[in-house]
Amino acid sequence: MLAGCARETTHFERLSPAEARTMRAFAAQILPSEPGSPGADEAGAVYFVDRALGEPFFADVVPVVRAGLAQLDARAAHAGALHGFASLSDADQREIMQKVEGGPFFAAARTLVLIGTFADPSHGGNRDAVGMRIVGMEHRPSYATPYGWYDAKTDAERATLA
Amino acid sequence: MMNQRSYAEGDDVDFVIVGSGAAGGVLAKELSTAGFDVVVIEQGPWEQPAQFTHDELAVERELVMFNKAFEPKQTFRRSASEPAALNGHGMLYRRAVGGSSVHFAANYWRFRPSDFKECSMLGPIAGTELADWPITYEELEPYYTKVDWEVGVSGAPAPNDPARSRPYPMPPLPNKSSGVLLERAAAKLGFHAQVSPMAINSRPYDGRSACGACGRCAYYGCEFGAKSSSLVSMIPKAIATGRCEIRTDATVSRVETNAHGRATGVLYWDKYGREQRRRARGVIIAANGAETARLLLLSTSSAFPHGLANSSGNVGRHIMFNGYAYTTGRFEHPLNEYKGAVASRVVMDFYESDARRGFYGGGGIDARFPYGPIAFAVNGLPDDLPGWGTDYKHALRDYYTHSMRFMSHLTSLPVATNTVTLDPDHRDRWGRPVFCLTYTDHPDDMKAKHWFQQRTQEMMEAAGATRVWNPPVLPIDGGLHLLGTARMGNDPRTSVVDRDHRAHDVPNLFICDGSSFVTSGRGQPTMTIQALAFRAAEHITRFARSHEI
Repeated sequence: MLAGCARETTHFERLSPAEARTMRAFAAQILPSEPGSPGADEAGAVYFVDRALGEPFFADVVPVVRAGLAQLDARAAHAGALHGFASLSDADQREIMQKVEGGPFFAAARTLVLIGTFADPSHGGNRDAVGMRIVGMEHRPSYATPYGWYDAKTDAERATLA
Repeated sequence: MMNQRSYAEGDDVDFVIVGSGAAGGVLAKELSTAGFDVVVIEQGPWEQPAQFTHDELAVERELVMFNKAFEPKQTFRRSASEPAALNGHGMLYRRAVGGSSVHFAANYWRFRPSDFKECSMLGPIAGTELADWPITYEELEPYYTKVDWEVGVSGAPAPNDPARSRPYPMPPLPNKSSGVLLERAAAKLGFHAQVSPMAINSRPYDGRSACGACGRCAYYGCEFGAKSSSLVSMIPKAIATGRCEIRTDATVSRVETNAHGRATGVLYWDKYGREQRRRARGVIIAANGAETARLLLLSTSSAFPHGLANSSGNVGRHIMFNGYAYTTGRFEHPLNEYKGAVASRVVMDFYESDARRGFYGGGGIDARFPYGPIAFAVNGLPDDLPGWGTDYKHALRDYYTHSMRFMSHLTSLPVATNTVTLDPDHRDRWGRPVFCLTYTDHPDDMKAKHWFQQRTQEMMEAAGATRVWNPPVLPIDGGLHLLGTARMGNDPRTSVVDRDHRAHDVPNLFICDGSSFVTSGRGQPTMTIQALAFRAAEHITRFARSHEI
């Protein structure tokens, strides 16, 4: 409901401004924004992550995510970035992503980004149903037939025969 | 919550029923309708369909629909010689009015005549206690029909179905694209794809609405009231008799017995944590194959030192979960499997065990795609595709709406060393020992999974999938179907309850739920659990009226 307003928010409950910047850049690497096709950043995945870091269910991953975000920035500084991972070029960010891909931070943070993108908007992400658009779902509480191409085709054939 | 009769502590009650799920709901409805005073003790809350949501994070990841959200601790080990650890999937079930029927997928396959007599047909199997049921399909058939009509099942008969005495009360749900493709594959390979019988309203039925095809059946509650859970099909009718009280948020600690070896009622903790006693003429346990076994094992006394009704030693033994194996495929055009009920077609050509395959086991194969977008994004794509970046994002788009599984639902053999026991080291919030599951798949069960995955792969290729992939075949370490832990039988030395669900050792104690199963069937147990419950209710009614309880 307030998704449009909330997106402009720069205030985070758990993430520091630097962590939030890095998290947004990480999220945009997981599900990049493209012309006409929004990604995890437009979905507001970072707002879900900020909230999740205060939830008991995600308590185990908080230290992993915090340390991992700091490490992304440290690697970025090593690569010459002045303002953290987010200030690197896309190609440089991807190079660092590849380096951390097999580790526990990557798995935990990726899962949080995906939940933030695809979960019910009441959890803070998936704004404007961006997640549903990414996977190609119609976002409705119930559906009418035909459901897909193959059952539509069968129904059409049956109608022709009748 | 509905307005219901409330029984005071001093009021005489005919039956106390532990559990309000698939079996407990039927028993409560039948016995209260027959004129008995019934108190149902239910661990969980009483929800209304309007409370159910499509929130995938809460429902599927945080498992709010399961016991895990409330009592996360269970232990697991492969054999009794290993230490049990807090791991494994756990035995998953719902603690709420309606039990796991609230979140089931609603596949309502009947067992077939062979299911009840496989030991006679096939002979004993090494390493198992395969046995015949003490009842036959023919004896249970009228009660399957009761489930069809009273609980509410949609479907259509198929040529090789077991005999039925009445048609389905409702026509099939719409066929899905996955069902059309299963029909295509079956036709190419010379099999037959038939309508999946589902406990879901295909049209308004019994005062409840028709399915809205929201696509959230398995693990979710139905906000339309169209899924025929005990919550909406049986419980309201039980309450309407004015002879049934559902006591919610109440956890039974033990069944009490007297010096004559008769059950006198149950002790439970109420919602405020106070210990309460509910006396009754007869006690019925319908708490599921895990909880029922634990309650019996906890109800020890000098007369029953190894647990109540356990002179055979078979309480908690022979747990069966139903194996499964599947193949996933992607197709050229959209299927949109996120719409509609879980499955619309099933192939039953491999249902019977066949010695020529070299192992015991059989199953049905249906078509489904059990992924919400979160689960699919996290781990639904084939392993060789990227897990992040633009190509990953495009793959989500190209696969999510275009993919589905052919999934086999299989037998599990009854093995005496596969058990639910009381864990010696861990306690739940009430101080009760948590479940310890000891489980190793019988070699034939593993062979069946591999064999069926070959079939699902052939079928996926025959259906014309553009990409076909298989997950690894895994051993079982928990599950949703909790079967066999208080098995039925005629011989008190080898079974826990008799053919009428009366405990061999306790004349006024009845046990009826998945624990009663002698064999596992083929993966969809609830229809049979409820048929057993209708049948048990009829016998219990007869005994009570003739003063034989």
